[in-house]
Amino acid sequence: MKALGTLLTSIFLALLCSFGLVIWLGESPTVLFEALYNTFFTSFGLGYTLFYSTPLIFTGLSVALCFHAGLFNIGAEGQLLWGSIAVVALGHWLPEIPWYLAVPLGIFVSAVAGALVGFVAGYFKAFRGSHEVVTTLLLNFISQYWVSYLILYRFKNPFNQASETELISNHYWIPAISFFPTTPVNSALFIAIVSSVLVYYYLFHTVSGFELRTMGTNKKAAQFAGISIRYRTLSVFVISGALAGLVGVNEVMGSEHKVIEGFSPGYGFTGIAVALLARNNPLGIVFSALLFGSLQNTARELEFLSENISKEVSLVIQAVLIAFVAYRFKGKSND
Amino acid sequence: MTAPLIEFKEVSKAFGTNFANQQVTFSIKTGAFHGLVGENGAGKSTIMKILYGLVSPDSGSLFFKGKHSHFRSPSDAIQAGLGMVHQHFKLVPTLSVWENIILGKEPSRFFFNTHSIISSLEDLQQQYGFHLPLTSRVDSLSLGQQQQIEILKLLYRQAEVLILDEPTAVLSPQEVEALFSQLSFLQSKNKTIIVVSHKLKEILKFTDYVTVMRQGRVVSTQPTQELNEDSLASLIMGRHPLPLKRPLLSATDKAVLTLKNVTTVKSPDCGLKNVSLEVKEREIVGVAGIEGNGQSALVRVLAQIQKYQGSVNLLEQKLEEMSSYKRRQKGFGLIPPDRQSEGLVLSFSNQLNFILGHHREASFQSHGFYSLTRISAYSKQKMQQFGIHPPLPELKTSALSGGNQQKLIVAREASPETRFLLACHPTRGVDIGAIEFIHSHFLNLKQQGAGILLISSELDELLALSDRILVIRDGEIVFETSTEKAEVKELGLYMTGGKK
Amino acid sequence: MIDLLNSSLRLATPLIFASMGGLICEKAGIATICLEGIILVSAFTSAVADFYFHSPVLSVLLGVLSGGAFMLFHAGLTIKSRADQIVSGVAVNLLASGLTPLLTKALFQNSTNTPSLPGALRLSVWSIPFLSRIPLVGSLFEHLSLVFLALILPFLISLLVYKTRFGLRLSSAGDGPEALRTAGVSVERIRVQALLLGGWITSVAGVYLAIGQSSQFTRDMSAGRGFIALAALIFGNWRPIPVFLACLFFGFTESLEIYLQSSEFFSNALPVQFIQSLPYLITLVLLVASGSKSQPPLAIANKED
Repeated sequence: MKALGTLLTSIFLALLCSFGLVIWLGESPTVLFEALYNTFFTSFGLGYTLFYSTPLIFTGLSVALCFHAGLFNIGAEGQLLWGSIAVVALGHWLPEIPWYLAVPLGIFVSAVAGALVGFVAGYFKAFRGSHEVVTTLLLNFISQYWVSYLILYRFKNPFNQASETELISNHYWIPAISFFPTTPVNSALFIAIVSSVLVYYYLFHTVSGFELRTMGTNKKAAQFAGISIRYRTLSVFVISGALAGLVGVNEVMGSEHKVIEGFSPGYGFTGIAVALLARNNPLGIVFSALLFGSLQNTARELEFLSENISKEVSLVIQAVLIAFVAYRFKGKSND
Repeated sequence: MTAPLIEFKEVSKAFGTNFANQQVTFSIKTGAFHGLVGENGAGKSTIMKILYGLVSPDSGSLFFKGKHSHFRSPSDAIQAGLGMVHQHFKLVPTLSVWENIILGKEPSRFFFNTHSIISSLEDLQQQYGFHLPLTSRVDSLSLGQQQQIEILKLLYRQAEVLILDEPTAVLSPQEVEALFSQLSFLQSKNKTIIVVSHKLKEILKFTDYVTVMRQGRVVSTQPTQELNEDSLASLIMGRHPLPLKRPLLSATDKAVLTLKNVTTVKSPDCGLKNVSLEVKEREIVGVAGIEGNGQSALVRVLAQIQKYQGSVNLLEQKLEEMSSYKRRQKGFGLIPPDRQSEGLVLSFSNQLNFILGHHREASFQSHGFYSLTRISAYSKQKMQQFGIHPPLPELKTSALSGGNQQKLIVAREASPETRFLLACHPTRGVDIGAIEFIHSHFLNLKQQGAGILLISSELDELLALSDRILVIRDGEIVFETSTEKAEVKELGLYMTGGKK
Repeated sequence: MIDLLNSSLRLATPLIFASMGGLICEKAGIATICLEGIILVSAFTSAVADFYFHSPVLSVLLGVLSGGAFMLFHAGLTIKSRADQIVSGVAVNLLASGLTPLLTKALFQNSTNTPSLPGALRLSVWSIPFLSRIPLVGSLFEHLSLVFLALILPFLISLLVYKTRFGLRLSSAGDGPEALRTAGVSVERIRVQALLLGGWITSVAGVYLAIGQSSQFTRDMSAGRGFIALAALIFGNWRPIPVFLACLFFGFTESLEIYLQSSEFFSNALPVQFIQSLPYLITLVLLVASGSKSQPPLAIANKED
């Protein structure tokens, strides 16, 4: 019950803040109302909202899984970049394989790429004891530069000057959701929802999930119970990375069919807010992602409709929401 | 008749449904050496916390030096001249001794003149007969020395009343004698001493007065010379202690645990140095020693979370070759030293805590997923069998009392299938009813053929249960004797190094 | 080579301020993932203040105060309501990286940078008389005032932490808050004081970046320095002088990166993005290589209150 109350209060708080910010920045509130209307009551707005929510479900799950193990995965931002570029690389080298191989392979590859980056961070933590917040953040920066290199030099789009890769062959494309035409929302959304159900079962109904949660709640007791902290840490980061990598499915296989530099408006960091608001509950993350997806869309609309407001307003509201949830639930929240 | 220094009148305090203090009434005379005794959970710590301003009473009043007083915080109590040495020391391990002493009452607002501070502390030390290395880091000192720092802290703040909460838990018998002598000396310098303890011998030997508490109430306050061990024990328990029925079966020749030349590698504490020992079927081997002399290393080695050289054979197989699941299956049980941080996950439900350690067992799963019904049924049965109250599997374990939490761990680890049990401080902080239950459970286990390695800092417990006793010091086994031939003094000397 | 040394000093300066500020907070027992955000905020505020008030001195002051204010936000969440320190730090960073471009756009119709400031309004360069005339090495003694301050700051912090009453209580708050509390001192108060002071010191890094090293505020100009400062704390084991040395080293890696980029040989041999990632890569490798030998203040390590 407390969770529901918090969710509702958060929504209210978000609206209040947007209102305040809009006025403070010198715009009339009608701009906000228009942006909200466009987001929720037009097919175009809803479609975009769902499109933004999809990667947020993935990164939210990624972060939440680690939270349950008592770890902080701030590296989703880098992991999703590698997941995306991996699909492009696959499409570059195997453009002709039939769609019933291409699509599963693409999904698999994006997850594996993210998982590998996750493995690196997990290895550092498990075997070297390095602080995972600092290592994942540094990995983000490094990933940003290296993936940029791959976009601009190895897989560059030969047909224009834009900072983007070539298009992958249409064998890899997954269907869009035609209910929302002209919007990029696609079947990756279903994959995301299925993932959240799978993560839920994994966490609360399997042995591995039990070990993970025990480690996250009381590390010493876990050790005495014979749980291998090293192995669990590693496996959590790998799965976490894989989830983040799946963002590539939404972006590359479902929407743009290429990697555009800077396409992520901070999905990895917003994932943290998504996880926190849902109190790390995998099923709740779907709803939390919807909230943040609509927030992002509203911000985009605001920027479009007004001269004074830039889309970073969503970051500010995210920060306020995170702070609010952190204040309400002190310590780790895992239920 | 001088007026009492401290007087409690009908003081009551409850924590939820736990009536820690009920109409507590007694007084302490100026300059007396006053003992406060009772078993775990009797309420002694609570009433002292009220005196020291850590806890506020629900009702009743406190008089200090004849005046009605209410200490709202330790600062108030310190101002009034009270000083307390807590059971768990309040020291900053990374700072030096002198820094810890002056902390909070520094001689200057800005910069320190280190030299003059240290020399004035040396003077203070000498005055009271202390011998502490003032510039050493606290975490490099023994627990006994750390306790000395705590006492010196009080003297630095000119405390007139020294309260010590269970000071002897971390000391060898010799150190206990030394401490109490020191306290008597301080008494001769006009200090009032209050000691909270459940160690009857020392209380009887050194105190002038003793107050007995049971289940939150004061049972009696009288001059110590009017009591002896028996009468005091009866007052504490309200009845005569149940005699332990020691089965006369002796150990078989089959070893359940063998350690040969085990030395730890990269141990965070003193570790183990070339330790060899053996536990056979149908025997209980006790390990005596002051805390911090290698007991935790021994536990970690057997729990397979510490690297070592040498060989460990558990139930006829090399320990290294077994996974934690395998060792469990073979009949290995482990009761860790700290139940809350090592044995349980308090925020989990009882049933989840029951499967901790053997959570991979197929009997708890169906189709690869956990079956909460099966786990719940298993837990319920165990809770009823061991008298764990309330027997609700879904309840969070944090809601159980200390004694019941310990019983949960014992139920989990010391099952009928257990062939070897490693039990560490199994009755620490547990009420007398649970203690008796756990002790007789261990003896039953032994009778059924299990071997038990019992690590404890309570010599009485070791003497009552073990067939043989080992003494560990600095990571080495320095002495071994059968319990019949064991003498407390001798054991104490080996524990501290007085005898080699 | 002298150039390399000079630019190392210049580039190390913001790291030194950030890490010294972080050191004070973390020694008191509060983890500061939010250093990055503090740098951004103070950079922004000082650049904007300089634009409107035409006074570098006032801008420095306002920049520092704004950073302190943001740190109080972190303090409020972590000290008063015991919210998770990492989460709060992330929130502060997010707030900073959102507010700064937002306000930039609102004020200047451009969400990327504030207007460029003329040289007169930026921080001034000091040259130590006599020493700066020495041929060859003279340029070592000619730097922005803040660079010189950065070089003596760690020694001042060392004095503060190890030789004053405040420093003693600070260390206790971080390594043994129970002891401090029992001694009758408010651990919360020490921590708030530490966060405020630490916030001010860290802010100088942002001010230096915006109106010292550069002439404007640019979006996300902190570029991860707040996190590199954290790595410096880990390397230096939370002791001022070793942390200082770590910062100098990181400053060197950054200047190495610039040198490599400008050198024809290297910029042809290696992809530019790789060179750009070098400082972070080196930091990461060193961090991992050093393993977990360094011990953070116990209150942070155990996540106690």
